[in-house]
Amino acid sequence: MQIGVDIGGTFTDIVALDRDGRVTLTKVPSTPKDLLEGVGAGVQRVLRLAGASPEAVERFIHGTTIATNAILEQKGALMAILTTEGFEDVLELGRQKRARMYDLDMDPETPTFLAPRRRRIGIRERLDARGRVLTPLDEGQVRAAALGLRGQGVQAIAVCYLFSFVNPAHERRTREICREVAPEISVSLSSEVDPTFREYERTCVTAFDAYLGPVVKRYLAGLAATLGELGVRAVPLIMRSRGGIVSAALAAEQPVTLFLSGPAGGVIGAKVAAARAGVRDFVSLDMGGTSNDVAVVRDGEPLIASEGAIGPYPVRTPMVDVSTIGAGGGSLAWIDAAGGLRVGPRSAGAEPGPACYGRGGDQATVTDASLVLGYLNPDRFAGGLMALDPGAAEKALAAIGRKLGLDPVAAAAGIHRVINARMADQIRLVTIKRGYDPRRFVLVVLGGAGPVHGVPLAGEMGMAEVLVPEAPGVLAATGLLFAAIEHHHARTLQAPTEAIDLAAVNRCLAELDAAGGMRMRSERAPVGEVRVAYAADMRYVGQAYELEVPIVAPVVREGMPAILGAFHAVHDRVYGYARPQQPVEFVNFRAVHTYPLPPPALRPTARPVGTIEHARLGERRAWFGHAGFVATAIYDRARLPLGARVAGPAIIEQADTTTVLPPAHEARVDEAGNLRLRRTA
Amino acid sequence: MSVVIDPILLEVLRNRLDTIADEMELTLLKSAVSPIVKEGLDASAALFNVRGETIAQAAAIPIHLGALQFTAQRIVRAFPPEAMREGDAFLLNDPYDGGTHLPDITLAVPVFADGRAAALACTMCHHQDVGGRTPGSVPTDATELYQEGLIIPPTQLFRAGELDENLLALLARNVRLPDVFTGDLMAQVAAGRLGGTRLRELFAAHGADTVQAYIEELLARAERLTRAQIEAIPDGAYTFEDYLDDDGVDVGRPITIRVTLRVHGSSMTFDFTGTDPQVRGPFNSVPASTMSAVYYAVRAISDASIPNNGGCFRAVDAVLPEGTLVNPRPPAPVSCRTATIKRIADTILGALVRALPGRMPAASSGTLLVLAFGGVDPSTGRPFVASELAAGGMGARPGKDGIDCIETDVSNCMNIPVESVEMNFPLRIPRMRLWADSGGAGTWRGGLGLEKVYEATTTDVTVSHRGERFTSAPWGLEGGEPGRSGRAFILRRDGPREELPSKKMIVLHPGDQLWEYIAGGAGFGPPGERDPALVLADVLDGKVTPPGPDSARAPSR
Repeated sequence: MQIGVDIGGTFTDIVALDRDGRVTLTKVPSTPKDLLEGVGAGVQRVLRLAGASPEAVERFIHGTTIATNAILEQKGALMAILTTEGFEDVLELGRQKRARMYDLDMDPETPTFLAPRRRRIGIRERLDARGRVLTPLDEGQVRAAALGLRGQGVQAIAVCYLFSFVNPAHERRTREICREVAPEISVSLSSEVDPTFREYERTCVTAFDAYLGPVVKRYLAGLAATLGELGVRAVPLIMRSRGGIVSAALAAEQPVTLFLSGPAGGVIGAKVAAARAGVRDFVSLDMGGTSNDVAVVRDGEPLIASEGAIGPYPVRTPMVDVSTIGAGGGSLAWIDAAGGLRVGPRSAGAEPGPACYGRGGDQATVTDASLVLGYLNPDRFAGGLMALDPGAAEKALAAIGRKLGLDPVAAAAGIHRVINARMADQIRLVTIKRGYDPRRFVLVVLGGAGPVHGVPLAGEMGMAEVLVPEAPGVLAATGLLFAAIEHHHARTLQAPTEAIDLAAVNRCLAELDAAGGMRMRSERAPVGEVRVAYAADMRYVGQAYELEVPIVAPVVREGMPAILGAFHAVHDRVYGYARPQQPVEFVNFRAVHTYPLPPPALRPTARPVGTIEHARLGERRAWFGHAGFVATAIYDRARLPLGARVAGPAIIEQADTTTVLPPAHEARVDEAGNLRLRRTA
Repeated sequence: MSVVIDPILLEVLRNRLDTIADEMELTLLKSAVSPIVKEGLDASAALFNVRGETIAQAAAIPIHLGALQFTAQRIVRAFPPEAMREGDAFLLNDPYDGGTHLPDITLAVPVFADGRAAALACTMCHHQDVGGRTPGSVPTDATELYQEGLIIPPTQLFRAGELDENLLALLARNVRLPDVFTGDLMAQVAAGRLGGTRLRELFAAHGADTVQAYIEELLARAERLTRAQIEAIPDGAYTFEDYLDDDGVDVGRPITIRVTLRVHGSSMTFDFTGTDPQVRGPFNSVPASTMSAVYYAVRAISDASIPNNGGCFRAVDAVLPEGTLVNPRPPAPVSCRTATIKRIADTILGALVRALPGRMPAASSGTLLVLAFGGVDPSTGRPFVASELAAGGMGARPGKDGIDCIETDVSNCMNIPVESVEMNFPLRIPRMRLWADSGGAGTWRGGLGLEKVYEATTTDVTVSHRGERFTSAPWGLEGGEPGRSGRAFILRRDGPREELPSKKMIVLHPGDQLWEYIAGGAGFGPPGERDPALVLADVLDGKVTPPGPDSARAPSR
C-alpha cells in the first residue's frame, strides 16, 4: 500500500492506494500547533477506512507546510550569518528598491528577522571573481565567532562568503571549524545551498536554509516517530518545491527546498489527471479559501522557476513556477475610496470565515456570493460537513450592495466578476512572463472553489476548455503518489560561447553529475534507472537575466550551434526577439537527476451505469448573467457515468467541490473520469 | 457621451488597465539588454489618453511617472493624434521639449479605436549611454546640454510599421554602446506594441466608447478624491527651503530651493518663487522633472486606493519661475537632475510638514549616489561602462524608525550585486555595509546610510562621482536630530587621502580606492524619549556606537 499525505491550511488530505489499485481518500482537520497530530490521525483514519494494517504500507509520501509556516510565523531557529568582512549587512541592504512606492509608513522589505546585525559576523577572508584567494581565511576568527555564537544559544549558522560559488574552500573550512567547536550547531553553506552569483539572493536562501534546518529536522524526526508508533515501517519520502520527492534524511539536509512543498503536489496532481486524458498543455488554477495558485504545464511538464519569493523575500531555490494571489472563497469584498468594488486580498480565513458559515463573520465574501447566486448547496457544502446560512450571506451582501446602489444578487454577481477579473489578470501575467498564449491551453481547475469559477474565467481568457479532475479538492495528496525522486544541482560558471573552454564546462557538468549521483546512491536508486537532464542558464553578453536552455553532456564543439539556436528560440519566445549576431554567454549550469518510481497502478473506479437521469439530484435557481435566475439541474458527480454529457445550465456537486456549468456549455465525463467543460454555442 | 457607470465594470477595467501597464513594464524589463535597466530597473511604462493624461502606470519609479505625463503631452502636440497611423512610434529625450535628461528616452506607440488614435502606450528607459563627453552620459561637470549627449526632439522612429533605418543608424552611431542602445530601444518598441495589442483587445471586448467613457470616469473620480484630501488640509501658505550642496562647477556654493505651498479649498499650488537661478552645472531641473516631485508628494499624502492616474494631478499646479533651477533656459545642462528632484521632493515634503504637522516623516537621505565608471577592460581590450545607484537612510516616521539604506521618495532603483560588478568590470568592492551612527537620533531613529568602497584593478578608470547632502544634512522633526551628512574620499594606493566634494570627475589607478558615505535619515521626536529597549538593540547591533551619534570616527583602511 502507498499513502500520500498533504497538509493544507484548513485540511490535511490523505490518499491510500493498495496493491489492487484501490484508492481511499479522506480528510482530517489540519493541526497548526503540531502538524504531525493531524498526520497521525489521518494515517490511522485512512488505514481504518481501507481496512489495511500499518505493516502493509510500503511507501509513504508527504507534502508539508512546515517550512512555509516557520517563515510566515517567524518560528525558525535562532541563527547567525558569517559573511566576508565588510559585507555583514548584505541581508539587510537587499536590493534597496521598495515595493510600496508611495507609502510613507512602510516596513522593511528584507528578512532581517532571520539574523539581526548582532548575529551577522564578518570574517576576514576574500576571494576574487575567479575564486583566487585575496585574503586567506582567518581561522582563529571563525573559531572565536563559533564559540561566541554557541554561548548565545545559536542553533544554526549560514555561511555566505563572496564568490564561494567559484571556490567553496573557505566556506567548507569554516564548517569544519564550526563542527569542531560547536558540533550541535547546524551549518548551511551558500556554496552548497545555492552556488550561483548575486550575493543578496544567495545569502537570503542560505539564511532561510539555516533558519529552517532545526525546525525541519525536528519535524522529520517527529514524522518518523509518529509513523513508527503507528507501526508504519516505510521510510517517508518528502515532496519538495520543484515537484520531485526525496527521502526524509536528504530533505533534512536541504530544508529550504521544502518551502513550496504543498502547491507543488497540487500541480503534479493536476498533471497526472490531465495526462490520463491526454491533455499536456494547461494552466492549473488552484483556488482555495484564502489564495489562488496558478501554474503552467507545457508538454506534460510543469514550468520550473529558478527562484521564488515568500512575501517580499526572494528564495532562490528551484520550484514549480506557481504564482499566488490573495483570491479565494474567503476573500472579503470592500469598497475603495473611489467607490469601486474590490475583492481581496484580505480573507475571512477559516475563523470567522464567510458570513454564511454562521461563525460571526458579517462581511461578504466570494463564498457568500456563490451561495446567493445559487451555485452552492447550503446543505451539502464540503460533503455535508458544514451547513451554510443563506440568510447571513444575503444580509452581508445587502450591506455592501447598499453602498453601491445594488441589490444583494447584483452585488454577488459583481463580486464574482471582480474576483474573476483579478484571477484572469493573474493568468495573463503568469503566461506573458513565460511567453505563452493562454488561448492554446486548457484550464485545469482545482481546490474547493476553482470549479465554481472555471467557465467564466476561461471565457474571459479565450481558453476553449475547462478540465475538472475527479477529486480536485484532494489532488495534491494524489499527486504525491506519482512524483519521481529528484535531485537538482546548479553552479555558476560564466563562460562566453565564442572561444569556449569546453574542458571547463564539461568539468562543471561532471561535478554536477557526481553530486547528483551521490544523492541518488543515498536514495538507493538503481543506477540504470536514474535519468540526468542538463541545462544551461544563458544570456546575451551584457544582459543581467538568464534563460534556461536544455543541453546534452558532454558539450562538444559541433553541438554548440544547436545550443545557441535553442537559446535564440527561447529568447524569442519569452522576450519577443532574438539577436543571433550578438555574443552569448553561459552563466550557470544545472543538472536534474530523476528516478521515476514504478508508477502505481490505478484500478478504474467502479463507474455507475445508466443515464445522467440517475445522477440527477433535483433543481434549484442559479444566476447566470443576462439570463438572470434560471431553473438549473443539479447532478451528483459520483453517479455520472463515463461518457455522460450534461447540458448547461447545470450544477454538478461532489464532496470536495461544486462545478458550475452556465447555459450554452456542456460537460462531458471523459474516459479518465475528468469533467470536460466546453462552450456549445 | 454619457454612460451610466456600473461600479463593477469600473473596477474590472481599472484592474485591467493597471495590468496592461504591468505587462508592458514586464516586457520592457525582460527584453532590455543593459544592466541598468535589468538589474537597476530604471525603466517605466504607462498608458495615456490622447490629451496626454495618465490612464494607468506600472509600479516603477516615481521620477519617471510624473515626467512621462509631460512627455506624452509634448508628443501629442508635436504629432496630432488625428494624423497618427497604426504602426507609428515616436521618440523623445529633449529636456527642453518635454524630456527630463538625455539618457531617459521615451517611446510612444499610438493605439487605435475605430480608425482614430485613442490612447498612447509609452515607456521611458534610462539608456546606459547616449554619447556626450563621458561614458554613461551623466558628466557632473557639464556646462551645456550639448556635452551631455545626443538630443532627440520629438521624432518618428516608425511610420506605419516601417522602421526609419537611417534615423536608427544615426542614433546608434552617436552612442558608445550601439548594440546595447539598440537592444534597449527595441525592448521599448516591444513593450509599447504589447500595450497597444492589449488595449485593442479591451476595446474589442467592451466597446471602445464604453472603455473610454470609463477611463474618463476613473480620471474624474481620482480628481474628486484627491480634491477631497486637499480640502482636509487647512487653507494657507506654507513655505520651506532646502539646499543642494552645489552644482559641481561652482563648487562649494549651495543652491537654494524654496517652495510655498498654497492650499485653497480643494486645490494646491506649489510656488517655487525664491528658488535660486539656474546653475552652470548639470543640476538644473526642467519642468517635467520638477513636476515629477510635485506629483510624487501628491500621491504620498493621498489614500493608496485612489486610482493612480492623471486625474490626481488636476487639482495641483505649480509656479516655476523661468531661468531658475526648477525651470532653466536652454542650453543649461540637466543630466544630474535626479539629485535636484530629490531635493525638490524634500522641500515639498518640508512644506507639507508645516501644513500637516505630526503626520509627515523627517527628511530621508535626500541622496541617490550615482557613479559611472568607464575605461578599458584589460580582459577584453574593449571599453566598459559600469553604473551604480546607491541609496541612504530613510527619515524617521511618527511612530516608526526610518528604514536603513532604502530607496525613498522619487527614486526607486535597485543596486547592482557586488558579485555582478566584480565579474564583469575591472573593479573590486572591498566593503559595503550600513554606516553606523549615521541615522539621526530621536524618539524614532533615522535610517542608517551606506558605507561603500570601490577599488580599481586597472589603470585610468574614470569615475563620475555624484553624491549629495555633503554640506547640508537631512532635517529632523519635533526634536529629532539631523541625519549625518554624506562624504567621500579617495585613498590612493600609495597612501594619500583626497577628500572629495559631493560631485567630481576622478580617475583611479590600480589599488586606488573610492570611499563613499551616503547620508542617513533624520530622527523624529526628542532622543531622550526613545524606548530604552530600542536604544539597547541599536547598540547591540552596532547601528549606534557609544558614546553616541556624535562621535565622528574617521574611517581607516
